[in-house]
Amino acid sequence: FTEMPTDNFVESSFWNFDALFQPQQHPARDQHDTFFLQDPAEAPELPAGYMAKVKKVHSQGGYGSQGYKYEWRVEEARRNLLRTHTTSASARMLYQLARQEKFSPVKYFSIDRVFRNESLDATHLAEFHQVEGVVADRGLTLGHLMGILRQFFTKLGMEGGTQGCRGLPRAPLTSPLFSGITQLRFKPAYNPYTEPSMEVFSYHEGLKKWVEVGNSGVFRP
Amino acid sequence: DEEFNELCFEFGLELDEITSEKDIISKEKGEEKAKGASDTILYKIDVPANRYDLLCLEGLVRGLQVFKERISLPRYEKIIPAQGEGQRLIITEETVQVRPHAVAAVLRNITFTKERYDSFIDLQEKLHQNICRRRALVAIGTHDLDTISGPFTYTAKAPSEIKFKPLNQSQEYSASQIMDLYKTDSHLRHYLHLIENKPLYPVIYDSNGVVLSMPPIINGDHTKISVNTRNVFIECTGTDITKAKIVLDIIVTMFSEYCEKPFSVEAAEVVYPNGKTHIYPELAYRKEKVKPELINKKIGISETPSSLAKLLTRMCLKSHVTGNGNNIEIEIPPTRADIIHACDIVEDAAIAYGYNNIQMTIPKTYTIANQLPLNKLTELLRLDLAAAGFTEALTFALCSQEDIADKLGMDISATKAVRIANPKTAEFQVARTTLLPGLLKTIAANRKMPLPLKLFEISDIVVKDPNTDVGARNYRHFCAIYYNKSPGFEIIHGLLDRVMQLLEVPPNEENGYTIKATEGSAFFPGRCAEIFAKGQSIGKLGVLHPDVITKFELTMPCSALEINIEPFV
Repeated sequence: FTEMPTDNFVESSFWNFDALFQPQQHPARDQHDTFFLQDPAEAPELPAGYMAKVKKVHSQGGYGSQGYKYEWRVEEARRNLLRTHTTSASARMLYQLARQEKFSPVKYFSIDRVFRNESLDATHLAEFHQVEGVVADRGLTLGHLMGILRQFFTKLGMEGGTQGCRGLPRAPLTSPLFSGITQLRFKPAYNPYTEPSMEVFSYHEGLKKWVEVGNSGVFRP
Repeated sequence: DEEFNELCFEFGLELDEITSEKDIISKEKGEEKAKGASDTILYKIDVPANRYDLLCLEGLVRGLQVFKERISLPRYEKIIPAQGEGQRLIITEETVQVRPHAVAAVLRNITFTKERYDSFIDLQEKLHQNICRRRALVAIGTHDLDTISGPFTYTAKAPSEIKFKPLNQSQEYSASQIMDLYKTDSHLRHYLHLIENKPLYPVIYDSNGVVLSMPPIINGDHTKISVNTRNVFIECTGTDITKAKIVLDIIVTMFSEYCEKPFSVEAAEVVYPNGKTHIYPELAYRKEKVKPELINKKIGISETPSSLAKLLTRMCLKSHVTGNGNNIEIEIPPTRADIIHACDIVEDAAIAYGYNNIQMTIPKTYTIANQLPLNKLTELLRLDLAAAGFTEALTFALCSQEDIADKLGMDISATKAVRIANPKTAEFQVARTTLLPGLLKTIAANRKMPLPLKLFEISDIVVKDPNTDVGARNYRHFCAIYYNKSPGFEIIHGLLDRVMQLLEVPPNEENGYTIKATEGSAFFPGRCAEIFAKGQSIGKLGVLHPDVITKFELTMPCSALEINIEPFV
């Protein structure tokens, strides 16, 4: 896996939400969950050609999809924020990959800070780290995603941890880190940008129950 | 309970909590108040955000029963009444200014019981919160059709011209009075702003001038439904027509089960200002064709087309094999507005197959691994700095405005800081432009530790930059501080020399680094130097000014070093 550049905490709504098919009326884009910026409030530059495609898919559909059928507004996409997940970096990388002359399979990863507008308590911080992984290739399946996730967790022998990894064989995987993970189960889930999506559960010996250790999915075409 | 938990897990629902009304009240108000409350077990189930059809008991049970193949998916029928007999909702052009869209339908000869009635009201609330975005996009109104007579008019009028008795009130109020009345209502006051400042408020009348409702705020008392209601008129108004249609479809499909003719819905006609008419609910069944190989390939299984069709039918997507057995035709019911692409169908097939039955494999992709150079440098430095006797800290990237400006003796406008529009607390107003405040706060929190305290951090700071596509960028900074009874300038200087040695930067002006005495607002006069390397200023070091030390609630002398390490990558 090659490390992705993630050295930009400030991101535009376009890369953080719109390019990831998260509708502009989605609750996560609310004031409550996202840190929006006062200064600089708007991103001056968005890729014009790509943005037109994103607008079309949201409002009318495309690439086999019906779309959300609402009026997509560029002002909303320009709004700057502190990124809520490192998947925005994955989106940028996939965009670069798409512009390459010849497709080459890739595996990317990153471990970096993300921001959510939450009140602090014993289990919630406003800033935390996410581990993200992406695999892009021809002919990838859900079984492949599950296989990679299983290998990833088996190799983890670390205590404690922080939130989230998002791995994508065109799929993301997220997880807090626990020690000696041996049993894994997958549960259907929902993300705006992946379908199928899965939550990954692991059996915690100490708590004697299954706990969610991650989230993943195959990117929507 | 176990079995149900398993079922939920497989289906994609989360059984959050098994509790009872007694438990809930107990937890919130104490055991005393809970006495006499019901002991019946309640399941708290988390439903995915895109499945509106699972938001009520009826839909949930139906979905699960089809999944377990206990019942087959009901077919929802739209009954179009003969010309002139159906209900009509006429929209006038005034509504365009405030809430232009409306759809309507009728549930005929429905039988409510207390549970069904509660469920009906509950579903409306859930939809309001979810897809309707707290009534901003769509508002639902349900009325006892026997108390009113159509045709109905949806129009918009000035607040002073609207007068009616709102739900559960004892007298009539004008619209402006109603807005005042509900300003203190814990539930309704959140919706007042949606129409408060508009010149015209939306309102629905029947042919006799009886007010059905003033969306999105409140319905009229006259038309309220009760357990005994037999015919229900449903209207959804709002700013998003697609969502209004989905909402209407969901309500009627869920509750038409209790009509005399189960799963049949009486259509209503909506007349637009330009004279065009439309029949609602749409209850559209859409047919999609998907190749079985596609489904198998995307999941990583190999099922026959007929078994795939069976799997999809279990997920309420009625399917059968067509062509020469190489195609599957799927009928998407109006309850599944979340199916918008073939990949949604693939997911449902995978769920029915059982995620945990899929064989796990590793992709045969060969790629070369690489670490990002900036991160590699950071990792190497971290190890050596720890070896030099400094302890690493990891601090918040967000801080208060004072932290990066006033407390360091600077003006906020000179910092080019990125400012947050909606901080929850004053601690998260700006993104840090320097690592120094974070480290100083860390020391302040650890004053009881033995001296000297030697901390470092290598992490990102954020500044505005008009040259980037978003208008800001990160820089990787390295910051170290030494806190002791004596300031230890020589120690910090020594650390700088050590870091430069590790980076193989010689201590000379032409191709290495130098330091020049300078003044800094955060530093003690005469004890501050600027560091130059690679043709630019990369940071400062020195003894911190006593004002700075005091403002961060510290009492001992402190020396600090902060540089940008990106030029060395």
